[in-house]
Amino acid sequence: MKQLSFLIVLTCCAILFPLNLAVAAPQPVKNEVVATTAPEESIERTKVFNSESFTLDNGMQVVVIPNFRAPVVTHMVWYKAGAADEEFGHSGIAHFLEHLAFKGSDLPGAAPLKPGEFSKIIRSIGGNDNAFTSHDYTAYFQSIPVAHLDMVMRMEAGRMNGIMPPPAEIESERDVVIEERKQRIDNDPRAQFQEQMASKAFVNHPYGKPIIGWANEIKKMQWPKIKEFYDRWYAPNNAILVISGAISPAEAFQKAIEIYGVLPRESLPERKRPQSPVVENADSQLIIRHPSIREPIIQILYRAPSARQNKTEALALQVLEEIMDGGPSSRLYRSLVSEKKIASSVGLSYSGDVWDDASVWLFATPAQNQSLKNLNKVLQDQLNLLIEKGVSEQELSDAKTRMIDSAIYARDSLAGPAMIIGQALVTGLTLDDVEFWPYNIEAITAQDVQAVAAKYLNPKQTLQYPAITGFLLPEAPEEKPPSEENPQPARTGAQR
Amino acid sequence: MRFVFFAFLIFLLPLTARAELLDIKPVTSPGGIKAWLVEDHTIPVIAIEFGFRDAGSANDPVEKQGLARLVANTMDEGAGDLNAQAFQKELQDQVITLHFDATRDYFSGSLKTLSKNKDRAFELAHMALTDPRFDREALVRMRQANQSRIRSSLSDPEWMAARLLNDKAYAGHPYALNSGGTLSSLENITTSDLKKFHDTMIGKNNLVVAAAGDITAEELGIVLDKIFGTLQDITPPEIADLTLQNAGKTFLFAKDIPQTVIQIIQPGINREAPEYHAAQVMNFILGASGFGSRLTEEIREKRGLTYGIYTSLFNLDHVHGLTLGTSTRTEKVPEMLNLIRAEYQRMIDTPITQKELMDAKSYLVGSLPLSLTSTDKIAEMLLSLQLENLPIDYLDVREKEIQATTIENVSAAARKILSPKSMTTILVGQPLPKDNPEFEAVEIVDTLPNVE
Repeated sequence: MKQLSFLIVLTCCAILFPLNLAVAAPQPVKNEVVATTAPEESIERTKVFNSESFTLDNGMQVVVIPNFRAPVVTHMVWYKAGAADEEFGHSGIAHFLEHLAFKGSDLPGAAPLKPGEFSKIIRSIGGNDNAFTSHDYTAYFQSIPVAHLDMVMRMEAGRMNGIMPPPAEIESERDVVIEERKQRIDNDPRAQFQEQMASKAFVNHPYGKPIIGWANEIKKMQWPKIKEFYDRWYAPNNAILVISGAISPAEAFQKAIEIYGVLPRESLPERKRPQSPVVENADSQLIIRHPSIREPIIQILYRAPSARQNKTEALALQVLEEIMDGGPSSRLYRSLVSEKKIASSVGLSYSGDVWDDASVWLFATPAQNQSLKNLNKVLQDQLNLLIEKGVSEQELSDAKTRMIDSAIYARDSLAGPAMIIGQALVTGLTLDDVEFWPYNIEAITAQDVQAVAAKYLNPKQTLQYPAITGFLLPEAPEEKPPSEENPQPARTGAQR
Repeated sequence: MRFVFFAFLIFLLPLTARAELLDIKPVTSPGGIKAWLVEDHTIPVIAIEFGFRDAGSANDPVEKQGLARLVANTMDEGAGDLNAQAFQKELQDQVITLHFDATRDYFSGSLKTLSKNKDRAFELAHMALTDPRFDREALVRMRQANQSRIRSSLSDPEWMAARLLNDKAYAGHPYALNSGGTLSSLENITTSDLKKFHDTMIGKNNLVVAAAGDITAEELGIVLDKIFGTLQDITPPEIADLTLQNAGKTFLFAKDIPQTVIQIIQPGINREAPEYHAAQVMNFILGASGFGSRLTEEIREKRGLTYGIYTSLFNLDHVHGLTLGTSTRTEKVPEMLNLIRAEYQRMIDTPITQKELMDAKSYLVGSLPLSLTSTDKIAEMLLSLQLENLPIDYLDVREKEIQATTIENVSAAARKILSPKSMTTILVGQPLPKDNPEFEAVEIVDTLPNVE
C-alpha cells in the first residue's frame, strides 16, 4: 500500500537499496582472500550482516540479523508472489490484496482483528508498519520496540492464516487504489512514460504490466479472484521471515517455531509465467508528447539477466553500473555533463533482484539548446567505447573498492539490511550471495564487464529483445521529432 | 555500549523504567568550538552534521532567489588546489559523503565517512568550508542542473501547489520566495555572489555542530578545531517575524489532471507555548499518524476519497504553522474540503477519548528509538535539537511533557489552532464546477509564482 510501494511500483526496486550500493562488507576484505588457492572451507570469510538462517518444518525460512544498537526490531514477511504471478486480465490483484490484508485478519487464540486494527495496534505500541508489492513479491513489515515482538509475530502469522475484508471495505479500498493510481501515474506524465516503456520492452511478459494494475481491471476486480490469489500463494512454505534488531538468532528462531511453525505447509503451484516472443520488425521507439513536459527526457531500456538467471553476469552488470554511474566522477556524468556539457543529467541503473529478466535503464536530460538526437548519439558512443575498449584496471579497482567500502554503511541501519536480504532471497538468491557479496564483486574482471556490455548493451548488434528508446517531449508540434526514422508520436492516455 | 544494557532492561520491564534515550555528551574543543556527541563504536562510521544559524535562503534577494541553495550546491565542487572533478573524485573514491544544503533559516553541512578514511574526510570538509573555489564552470553546471530541476517539476502538481502556498501564505516576507530559485533569478547569480555569501554567512559564531559514531570526545575536540577552527565571526542580517497571510481564502491553479492536489496551511503553535506538546498529541490524532488518524479514518478508510491525507505542525524561526496535504479526484474536492473542516471542528468541539490519548502518547514516546537507528540520523537529531535551542536533556523533558498531557490540554490546543477560518487553501487541478457552492470562494491564479 502504502508509502514504500511508491517507487517500487514505478521503477521496481529503486528504493530497495540496490545490492550494489548498499550491501556491505565489514573491514577485512582483501584481494588475497579471493586470489588464494587454499580450499574453500579453510578460508575465514567475513559476513556483511552476520545474519543466521533457519527453516521451519513447514518450509518457512527465517533469517535473523542481530543488531543491538537500540531496543527495537524490524519484522518483515516476504511472500514469493507479486504482480507477475497474476492471471492475465486481472492486473493489480497482488497489490489490491496487499491493501485488503489491513482490513481484517485472523489472530491465533483471540478474536480476529477488525479492519484497520492491525496498524492501529502497531501505532499504539510505538511502532510503524506498512507493506509493498513488486512484480515478484509482496512484503509486510513492522518496526517496533522489541518487547512487543511476540504479539506482532502472532498478528502477522494470523494474517498468513486468513483475511476477511468486509464487502463495503473492499469497495472503499478499490476507490483508494484508484486514487493511488491517479496520484502515482495518471497525474504524472513521467510515470505514464515509464509504464509504457516497460510495456514495450516486455511484450507478453507480466513485467510489461503495471504493478498497481490497469485502471479498467482494478475497477472490475472481484473478491473471489483476490481470495484465490491469496489462497494460492500466501503459505508458510512460500514466505520468508526476516527479523533485524535487538534479538539473538536463537531466541528469534524459538519464537518463529512457536508462532509461525504451527501453520500448515500448503501445496504451491509452479511459478510459470508467459515469456516474451522474439517479435520480428518490432517498433523499438516510444515518443510521447505532453503539455506538462518542459524538460525532455531520453530513456533506453535494455533487458539483461537477473542475478537468479546468471550470478556472474549480474555482478558484472553491477560493476558496470558503478563505473558508468557511481557518482560525479564516473564515466557518464564526467563525460556528458562536466566535460561535453551535452546533458544536464545522465544515469544508468541496473538491479538484478528480480525473478525473470532484469532491466538496464540508460537515461539523460539534454542541456539547454542541445538536441536529443545528438544526446542519443553520444550515449551510444559511450556504450561503443565501453564495448570496444573495455574498462581500465584502475577504473575497475576504484569501482570495486567503492562498492565494497560502501557496504559498511549498509549495516548502519535497522530496516535496511532486512530489505536487502529479503529482496535477494525472495528473488531466488541465497543468504551467502548477500553475506559474501563483497568477495563476489572482488572477483569480477575487466573482461567480465566488457563482455556483459557487449552482450546486452550493444548498439551495433541485434539483441534478442531490442532495446527500447523512449523520448518524453514537450508539446511543440513545430519541433522536429528526434529521429527521422520514426516520426509518429505515440498517442496515449496522456492526452485527455 | 549502553544500548545493549538498555535492551535487556526493557525486556524485563516492558516500557516502564526508561533511562535517558541517548547519552549525549557536550564537547568543547581546545579552540572553544562546541558540539554535541553520541559516541558509538559498533560500526566504523562517523557522521558530523553542522549548521550556520540565520544563514538560510530567507536572506536571498528577490532577484537572486535561490542564492543560498546554489552556494550549497557549488561548495563541494572544488576547493583549494582541487578542481571540481578532482574534489568529487576524492570523495567518491573514499566513499565520503560531504554535502551542503540551505533551509529557509540556516545553512547546513553533512559529513559521513568510514573511520579508515576519516583524516582525509576532515581535511576535505575543512577545505570546502573555508576555501571553496566557486569556479565559474561549477556555478554554470549547478545553475543548469537547478533550472533543469525546476522545468522537470512543472509536471509535478505537488511541487506546483507548494509554490503557490508559499507565495500566498508568506506574502510580503522572504519566506514567500522560491528557495530553489527561479529560472531567471538563477541566471542573475554570479561567482562573486557566491563568494560574498560565503564570506558573510559562514561564521564561527553562528556555527552549530553535532557528531555521532566511531569517535571519542577527545578526538572530536581536535577534529572540531581542524575543520572549523579558522572560521571568522560574522553578523547575519535580521529577518522579521511573520503572520500567515490570506487566511480564509482558497486559490486554484488550473491544470488538466484527473486528481486535484490540496494543501492547507494555518497558524500552528510556538515552541514556548504551554500547549506545545498537547498540540503534538492533537496533531497525531488528527492527521499525523497516517493509519489510524481521524482524517485517514473518515476520508480514506470510510469513503475511499484519497490515497493519503496527513497533517503536520512545523516551526520555522519566524513563523509556525499547521499544514495538511492530500489529493482526490476533481469532482470530490468540495466534499473533501467540507470533511476536513468538519474534522477540525469535531476536534475543537468534542474531547478526545482516553484511548486516543493513551495510544498517541504511547506512539509519540515509544517510537523515538526508531528514529535513532543509524549514525547519521542520530547526528541529525542532535543538530536539530541545538538549532531549535533545546536543552541537552530535551528528549527526556519531551517524554515527561507528553506523558503529562491531559484530554483538556488537547482540547485547548485544538481550540487554539484548528479554526477553519484561519485556513489558506491551495488547489492544483481542474477548476470546480460553477454550480458548486465552493466555486464562488475560489480565486483562480493564472501564473505560477516564483518559477519563471
